[in-house]
Amino acid sequence: MSVSTGVHVSLVEAKLLVEYLETGQQEKADELIAEIQNPINSELFAEIGKLTRQLHDSLNNFQLDSRLNDLATADIPDAKERLNYVITRTEEAANKTMDAVESIFPVVDTIQKQIKAVNPLWQKLMHNKLDLPEFKSLCIDIDLLLKTTDKESVRMHDLMTDVLMAQDFQDLTGQVIRKVIDLVREVEDSLIGMLTAFGLSSEGSSEPSKPKVGDNLVEGPIVNAAQRDDVVADQDDVDDLLSSLGF
Amino acid sequence: MFSPEGALDKNMKVLVVDDFSTMRRIVKNLLRDLGFTNISEADDGSTALPMLKEGSFDFVVTDWNMPGMQGIDLLKAIRADANLSHIPVLLITAEAKKEQIVMAAQAGVNGYIVKPFTAATLNAKLDKIFERLG
Repeated sequence: MSVSTGVHVSLVEAKLLVEYLETGQQEKADELIAEIQNPINSELFAEIGKLTRQLHDSLNNFQLDSRLNDLATADIPDAKERLNYVITRTEEAANKTMDAVESIFPVVDTIQKQIKAVNPLWQKLMHNKLDLPEFKSLCIDIDLLLKTTDKESVRMHDLMTDVLMAQDFQDLTGQVIRKVIDLVREVEDSLIGMLTAFGLSSEGSSEPSKPKVGDNLVEGPIVNAAQRDDVVADQDDVDDLLSSLGF
Repeated sequence: MFSPEGALDKNMKVLVVDDFSTMRRIVKNLLRDLGFTNISEADDGSTALPMLKEGSFDFVVTDWNMPGMQGIDLLKAIRADANLSHIPVLLITAEAKKEQIVMAAQAGVNGYIVKPFTAATLNAKLDKIFERLG
C-alpha cells in the first residue's frame, strides 16, 4: 500500500483501526489516525518553525536596513557636508593667519631697516666719536625709529590678535570631526550587525588590511608611521635613505 | 642660474606646484623670505608642464599627490624633455613610502622633503641642491 504523503500504515495498525471502528471506539480510532499522521506533523512543525525564524530574522534585518537606509540617505551626505565644512574652515584659518603674517613681515623689515640706519651713528655716539651735525642726524633717525616702532607695534599687536583668533577653527572642526567619527562607528556596527544577521562572521580576516593606494603608490599623509616599516618617520629618514642611494 | 661670483641668483624663475593654494602660499612665503622674488604657481602637473615649456624656469618645487598630473609624473616629463631636463626639481610631499622615495630618486629628483616640514629644512635642501649644481 502506497501513500502519497509518505506515511506508511502497517497491516497491524489497519486491523486495529477496523477493530476500533467495529467496536464503536471512535475516540481511539481518531487517536490512532493522529498517531499515524504524527510524522507529517513534526516535519510540518519543523518547517513552520524554520519559516517563522526566517521571518523573524527578516524583520530584524529590515529594521537594520531602515537604519542603514537613513545612514546612506541622510547621515552620510550630512557627514560629507560636515567634512567639507572642515576643509573650508581650516583653509579660511590658514589664509587668515597668512594674511596677518604677510602684513607683519614688511613691518618688521621696515623697523629692522631703520635700526640698521641708526646703528653706525649710534656706535659712534657710544664711543664718544660723534660730532654735532652727526648728532643732529642721529636724533632725526632715532625720532623716526621711535615713531615707527610706536605706531607699528600697535599694528603688529592687532595682527597677532588676528592670528590668535584664526585658531578658533580647531574647536569647531574638532567637534564636527568627532561627530563624523561617531557616525563611522555606527555604520561599522550596523554593517557588522548585518553580517551577523546573515550568519557571516565579521572576524576571521586576522591580517590587517593594507591601505588603498593610488597611482605611483600615493596614499597621502601617513597617520600610523610608528606601526609601519614601509614608510619613513621624518626628514632624517628621508635623508638617510637618499644618501644610501648615493644622493 | 648662478651669478659670476658663484652666489645663488635670487632672481631665478621658480615654479611652485601644489593643488592646495595654502601650501603654495606657505612655500612662496618661505622662498620670498630666502630672497626669491620671481615665483609663479601652478595647481598640478598638467598646468605646470605647459608653463615650463613656455617660460624659462630655473627651478621647480612640486607636491607629489595632485589630481590631474602627479608631481612624480611631472618630474619624469621634465627629465624626458631635452629643453627642460636640466631644471632642478624639489619634491615637497606627504608621500612617505620608502619605495616612493626610491622611485623619485630614480626619476632624477634633486631633493625630497616630507610634510610637515620646517623653513630650516627647505633652506638646507635649497642650499644643497644649488651647491651640487654649482
